[in-house]
Amino acid sequence: MRIVVVGGGMVGHRFAQEAVRLDPGADVVVVGEEPYEPYNRVLLSEVVAGRSDLSAVVLPEAPGVGRRRGVRAVGVDLAARHLELDDGARVTWDHLVLATGARARVLPLPGLEAGDGRLVIGAHVLRTIDDARGVVAGAVNATRACVVGAGAIGVEVACGLRGRGLEVTVLASRDGVLDRDLDPRVSAVATRSLADLGVHVVPRAGVRAVEVSHGHVDAVVLEDGSHVPTDLLVLATGSVPRTELAVDAGLAVGKGVVVDEDLRTSHPDVSAIGDCAETPDGVSGLVAPGWAQAAALAERLLRDRPVAPVPVQGAALRLKAVGLDVVTAGVRASTSGPDDRVVSIDDGGARRFVELVVRGGTLVGTTCVGAPELAGRLSMLLDRPGIMPPDPLQLLVGVPDEQVGSPTAMPPSTTVCRCNGVTKAAVLGAWDAGCCTLEDVVETTRATTGCGGCRSLVCGLVEWLQQVDPPSSHEASQERERGVAAR
Amino acid sequence: MAAEPRDFPTNRGGMCQKGWTSADLLRTPDRLARPLRRTSEGFEEVSWDEALDDVAARVLALRAEHGPDAAAVFGGGGLTNEKAYQLGKFARLALRTRLVDYNGRFCMSAAAAAANRSLGIDRGLPFPLTDLQDADAVLLLGSNLADTMPPAVQHLAAVRERGGLAVVDPRRSATARLADDRAGIHLSLRPGTDLALLQGLLHVVLGEGLADVAYLRDRVEGVEEVRRSVAQWWPERVASVTGVPAGDLRRVAHLLADASPHRGGRGAFVLTGRGAEQHVDGSQTVGAAIALALALGLPGSRRGGYGAITGQGNGQGGREHGQKADQLPGYRSIEDDEARAHVAEVWGVTPDDIPRSGVPAVQLLSSLGVDGGPRALFVHGSNLVVSAPRASAVRERLQALDLLVVCDVVPSETALLADYVLPVTQWAEEDGTMTSLEGRVLRRRRAVTPPPGVRDELWVWAELARRLDAPGTWSTDASEVFDELARASAGGRADYSGLSHARLDTGEALYWPCPSADHPGTPRLFTDGFPTADGRARMVPATVTGPDDDVRPDAPVHLVTGRLLQHYQSGAQTRRVTQLRDAAPQAHVEMHPSLAARIGLDGAEPVRVTSARGSMVATARVSPDVPPEVVFVPFHFAGADLVNALTNDATDPVSGMPEFKVCAVTVERVDVAESMLHPSQEAVS
Repeated sequence: MRIVVVGGGMVGHRFAQEAVRLDPGADVVVVGEEPYEPYNRVLLSEVVAGRSDLSAVVLPEAPGVGRRRGVRAVGVDLAARHLELDDGARVTWDHLVLATGARARVLPLPGLEAGDGRLVIGAHVLRTIDDARGVVAGAVNATRACVVGAGAIGVEVACGLRGRGLEVTVLASRDGVLDRDLDPRVSAVATRSLADLGVHVVPRAGVRAVEVSHGHVDAVVLEDGSHVPTDLLVLATGSVPRTELAVDAGLAVGKGVVVDEDLRTSHPDVSAIGDCAETPDGVSGLVAPGWAQAAALAERLLRDRPVAPVPVQGAALRLKAVGLDVVTAGVRASTSGPDDRVVSIDDGGARRFVELVVRGGTLVGTTCVGAPELAGRLSMLLDRPGIMPPDPLQLLVGVPDEQVGSPTAMPPSTTVCRCNGVTKAAVLGAWDAGCCTLEDVVETTRATTGCGGCRSLVCGLVEWLQQVDPPSSHEASQERERGVAAR
Repeated sequence: MAAEPRDFPTNRGGMCQKGWTSADLLRTPDRLARPLRRTSEGFEEVSWDEALDDVAARVLALRAEHGPDAAAVFGGGGLTNEKAYQLGKFARLALRTRLVDYNGRFCMSAAAAAANRSLGIDRGLPFPLTDLQDADAVLLLGSNLADTMPPAVQHLAAVRERGGLAVVDPRRSATARLADDRAGIHLSLRPGTDLALLQGLLHVVLGEGLADVAYLRDRVEGVEEVRRSVAQWWPERVASVTGVPAGDLRRVAHLLADASPHRGGRGAFVLTGRGAEQHVDGSQTVGAAIALALALGLPGSRRGGYGAITGQGNGQGGREHGQKADQLPGYRSIEDDEARAHVAEVWGVTPDDIPRSGVPAVQLLSSLGVDGGPRALFVHGSNLVVSAPRASAVRERLQALDLLVVCDVVPSETALLADYVLPVTQWAEEDGTMTSLEGRVLRRRRAVTPPPGVRDELWVWAELARRLDAPGTWSTDASEVFDELARASAGGRADYSGLSHARLDTGEALYWPCPSADHPGTPRLFTDGFPTADGRARMVPATVTGPDDDVRPDAPVHLVTGRLLQHYQSGAQTRRVTQLRDAAPQAHVEMHPSLAARIGLDGAEPVRVTSARGSMVATARVSPDVPPEVVFVPFHFAGADLVNALTNDATDPVSGMPEFKVCAVTVERVDVAESMLHPSQEAVS
């Protein structure tokens, strides 16, 4: 069986990898329009931020996968089972996998288009490696940047450019950033954090036009007529599933290529995965569900195993923004049910928000802004029945650390030397038995002779003993013991 | 007779309780002093001749009926170099079996396989331990050395002063606490995700331009494959798998990079322990740790490197001289015809007299007493019914044997199952050598006379070899055996041929390889190249798969196991030392207050922990030092609190290392479990 994959992006590539992993003899051909080796699109905002070299985004090639790079699929003949390519070639398939992904949404703004589908100089989207190169190059000579859109990519790019020293303005379509992924009060906390980083967020900013000067972006004009001057414009206004091929072939298409839970399109031998696919749960747009779909489809095609439904809603968002830590996964307050327990801590003053949602004794949702430790801890508990405490609040409240007291205040049973199991009581006992120097105590109890980490503690104990119970007064040690007990 | 610390470079004059009390073991009341034979009523004392005659006769009878592989050998990493060497030779020449392996398979095999593959050689630390003192950063993965070898913590003092200690452990162990107070950072990860964490560190190092590009170009193969493979592991994704915040991951990557020589640092070390290694992807995990060290230009730089923290007393030497299934002395491959010819000549046999590779420990143990499997087993320096994974299955396999011979010092749980228990010498009663975690060969000298009736294993093997009509010579003098070992190792990777007891007795600090009598030894490896075919090290790309037995709705908690400060290994020895036993008499189940609350625990009550393989009961110890979804149980105990009854015997396909360090369990209050049992029992009655 020959499987042809249209789209060499992260999901199409992953499908091919999984297919040859399951069956090294599988006949899989990937057709992709980008001329590059497969790369990790998720890292493009990291490239913009300067945290990742371009060379470090290249993904491993799976051996045994056929590849057609730099050619675009222009037509599908479902009856003849052909894929037509823009170089005139035809590729036959037994099963066709559409992984055509999505394209960046470009708002129809006056001034933005420079003809033949290109954007005016200084304006960019961020979808491909070429886009990332363009943004990085543009940032070199820019002092001001404007990001349209306050979703994850918009915020990551804004933080990345801010980190490069640019003045950055984010134009948010609603009140705050990440409003699709976060409930309003959480979004508010994230927005304040962004402001702390020096990123200017304009809420409810409708964009009317782009002003161009000498063929280069000069400013963005808002609905209220105000101008946001900028040298670099990045459009992060979402993406649109690429469905042209499916439409032309006569497959069912809604927002994306419509598939059932088995990832099958309206034609039984054509499947769709990734950002182009509209599953019963919706269109994804994140890589994790796309990868899960790729693995599931490979299992179905190569092993004939049923596909476990891949949830798209509630997929985890982990922001990769320099200086802003946001993680949300699963159910949140606004999507919770009437019987769910929603526990949240809104600590906006500290730019921190933590929320967890518990359903029937299982953690089903967690949202953390500015709380990376807790985010890590809670994400390990997500969707795992059988481990939540009766009171979910217990997970959010730190357990006080054991008191490491001063030598005088610590109880006699406190272990001072772990290596040799020496308690404070043992040191007191050694003192009463006639030890009067640190060396004596060490000799008798062996405290400090292991790793030596307790040396200062034992020194402190001995100094204290020398003060309150100097060797000359050893006969009077009974009194000291009473004194200790009285403390 | 007492033990006193010496000011030696590794311990710097320090000793922990295990050292201070070690002399007590020489006086343990139930010390074995006569050969014992199993009878229907228990054991009876027999003479050495009677025991050895019968053992040899039964081996010969089994061999006649089933062939030479009817006998198998299980050795130990606590044996001296001389014994480890002689045991491998005894298996191959006297028993004529290919089936020999040892408990080091449970200990160092993953690190060994990865180091051999990437660096061309396996010496735990390819540098003296004291080198750590000059470093700016040390990354410790899955090692709790503050409990396992406390004096070694002294070497971390300077690194901690500089804020450079990074400890990776699900638990906030004693070692993780060393990073408190700005001494460094503790990364608490989901059990079994060490490989993903390392992929993330490599991602940051390679992606953010922190790597030593010149070093990679000149000294390393496979960089491109690894660069691509870690492109899939950006820190936020790693966070979703490991629970370690992306920011902490980046911080550690930068900490290591800034400490590395190519960026002007004073040195950086990447060290692994069993916590990172005892997994089904253990050798891949170590491979990634080595790749990280290579990316930073550390191995061979004199200011950094990769090292595995060796566990058992002679965990290093024990894995070099032939008690491993696929190995001949000098760390040679038993499948290499040149090596076979060399060793055959030293042994005075033909290469055809040396059997080929056997099978690794878990496979060996699971084949005992089954159709076509071995019928007899010799056990030396190992208490495998306590220390092997899925211990209850191992017990069944031992009970299915026709002949089990256990050489030990005390009646260990494994010895109590034997047909013959043979009493042998222990540490201060014998001569020999050990090789430390840093590859330095150390003398062990006889200080006391063993009890009458106790024999050295060298003598036992010589006597059995004679009765089995084995070829070759069978010296009972450790110095002579060492000389033979030295000749057999000549030209091998672990070359001891320039060493002798006499030379070691001068006190010279000698690290292998030491290929001639005038060679000064090799404290630091890789300074001029790697002992690979092309002289270059190898980065190996990894595939993250996760634990074999991962949590699921009916087993929602991760179990991790490890050591206590007071004990080592199966506890057969340390549980017999009063002071150690009193300090830690039994296992406990360390769990987070939130898990304790969930199962309705009220204080230090007994709890039952159950995996797909078995169950144990021990008292809960409630502590915020373990994550809420993890329990920790120490593995030194053999009663109802035997945790290896639960551990997973799935193994790493490369090294044969079992996945001791993570499996899925349920945890419940014992009274709840009991009350759930009773109704059904009543119904049956």
